[in-house]
Amino acid sequence: MGKGKPFLEVLASAIHEDYRFPFLEVFAFLYALGTFVFASFGVTITAQGGTSEAIVYEAITPLLSIPLFIFIILVFKNIAYGLGSDLEKGIIQTYFSYPLKRRGILTAKLLSALGVALLIFLGIQISALYILAPDIVLPQLDTVLLMYAANLSYPLLIAGIMLLLTLKLRRGGITLVAGIVLYFAMSIISAIATVIAFATESPLALQIISVISPSLALQQYYLGIFDFWTPAFSEVILYTGASYVVVAFVFFLGYTYFSRRLNL
Amino acid sequence: MSLIVAEGLAKSYGRVVAVDSLNLKLDEGSVTGLIGPNGAGKTTTIKMILGLLKPDRGVVKVFGQNPWDNTAIRSMIGVVYEKAFFPSHQKTLDYLQRVCRIFGVPESRAMEVLELVNLQEASDRDIRALSAGMLQKFAIAHALIHKPKLIVADEMTANLDPQARSELLDLVLQLHRDEKVTFLLSSHILPELSRVCDSVAIINRGKVWAFGKLSELYEKYAVGIIRVSTDSSYALEAEISKLKYVKELESDIRGISVRVVEGKEDKLYEDVPKLAKKIKAKILGIETGSASMQELYRLAISAKERK
Repeated sequence: MGKGKPFLEVLASAIHEDYRFPFLEVFAFLYALGTFVFASFGVTITAQGGTSEAIVYEAITPLLSIPLFIFIILVFKNIAYGLGSDLEKGIIQTYFSYPLKRRGILTAKLLSALGVALLIFLGIQISALYILAPDIVLPQLDTVLLMYAANLSYPLLIAGIMLLLTLKLRRGGITLVAGIVLYFAMSIISAIATVIAFATESPLALQIISVISPSLALQQYYLGIFDFWTPAFSEVILYTGASYVVVAFVFFLGYTYFSRRLNL
Repeated sequence: MSLIVAEGLAKSYGRVVAVDSLNLKLDEGSVTGLIGPNGAGKTTTIKMILGLLKPDRGVVKVFGQNPWDNTAIRSMIGVVYEKAFFPSHQKTLDYLQRVCRIFGVPESRAMEVLELVNLQEASDRDIRALSAGMLQKFAIAHALIHKPKLIVADEMTANLDPQARSELLDLVLQLHRDEKVTFLLSSHILPELSRVCDSVAIINRGKVWAFGKLSELYEKYAVGIIRVSTDSSYALEAEISKLKYVKELESDIRGISVRVVEGKEDKLYEDVPKLAKKIKAKILGIETGSASMQELYRLAISAKERK
């Protein structure tokens, strides 16, 4: 028996549960709606001009806002509620009776919960970019990639924190509520930090936020909303890299806990 | 060869000690019952044996290996949990075929195991649409897919009707006889265990209080037990309790189990008919050494508590 077969079967089973009718259909529709409806506005705005990178930034930003929010909802549904319920009900226990390592089971669950959600998101985004604005996007592919990397790290951090919460609480419903509270708390903290930065004209708060949400640094780089802080391009890349180090660390904690300490 | 060896196992949940210095050895080919009151530590013990819980202290070996995250031994173990849960939006046969692929056995085995537990008619039903009893049968079918050498079951017959229970116990005996499967069965329903088990481990307060072959345990704890069958159990019990050489007695609607001082069995045989005559009770039978597992369990617990 190959090692891959149990993993693929558990993955297939997880995908079957996470995206059963009508979840896949509804979320794909919302992704498409959020992307294409707002994409038209983005293309209109680009006509106003600016540097080519700024034009790309302005074109893509509206495409991302709603689908990223839908992505976070899907993360809540699949990780907080889905994995939480699997732990609560004992489905993970059932998976533990199969010849598959604990980390393999978690990877299968995360690939289903996050990987598939990300694939649908990127699939629709790439389609939208190629259909609606190929002339703008293709020459600035590096800017496009950086934008997606910067914008996705925060939702992935949320997903990682949700994973830790889920493993600790092991209850679908309560983890979902805790996750939503945490998400809004983080948004409020971020808003407060922005206000503080604006009031004190000190970039420190913005720089701290940029470590977990580098899209802020990217926004500053292209649009320069705050006069007192305009990061260099290399800084934006540094913030983006740092944010993924944070994301990787959070997932590493989740994996370590699941593999070595999780008692069922 | 011992398939399961646990030495000095301990597990606590906060301040609550679930298992404390537990020792257990399960020989290949045995059918061992794990019995004990609620909260005795049976499920915690089983979870440590299956590698779901990490012991705070002690060692557990299954097939000579540490069960924690050990994939190699999972192919040799079938597991039935007290509350069975599976991905619920899949059809029973489809899911079992998936499990066949996981274990690398032919997919035809899925239908075979459904037939073994009389669930073939539910093969195209969603798992979530199964009743509690059917779900338990499905869990048993699921545990049998890969023809395991060892089956560990926690309250396997929970949720089953009497006929299904009986059929399942027949299946246990059949698998044990024909395929030499070793069983570790935890249950509250002691008469069921007495039907299939050759060994018993009595767990109480997180420790094994008595363990061994059933025959040895009966010899050790149930010596001097006499069963009196009568039509007036409770009235006769009151009379028998007045006899000075009676150590313990317990009655139910069908009769009385009496434990006497060693060497006084014949005296009881003489006295019981006289007492019955006095209260006009009818004696239906008197026999020695026929304690039920329930009585054995009670006797073992009380013997240990006296120590």
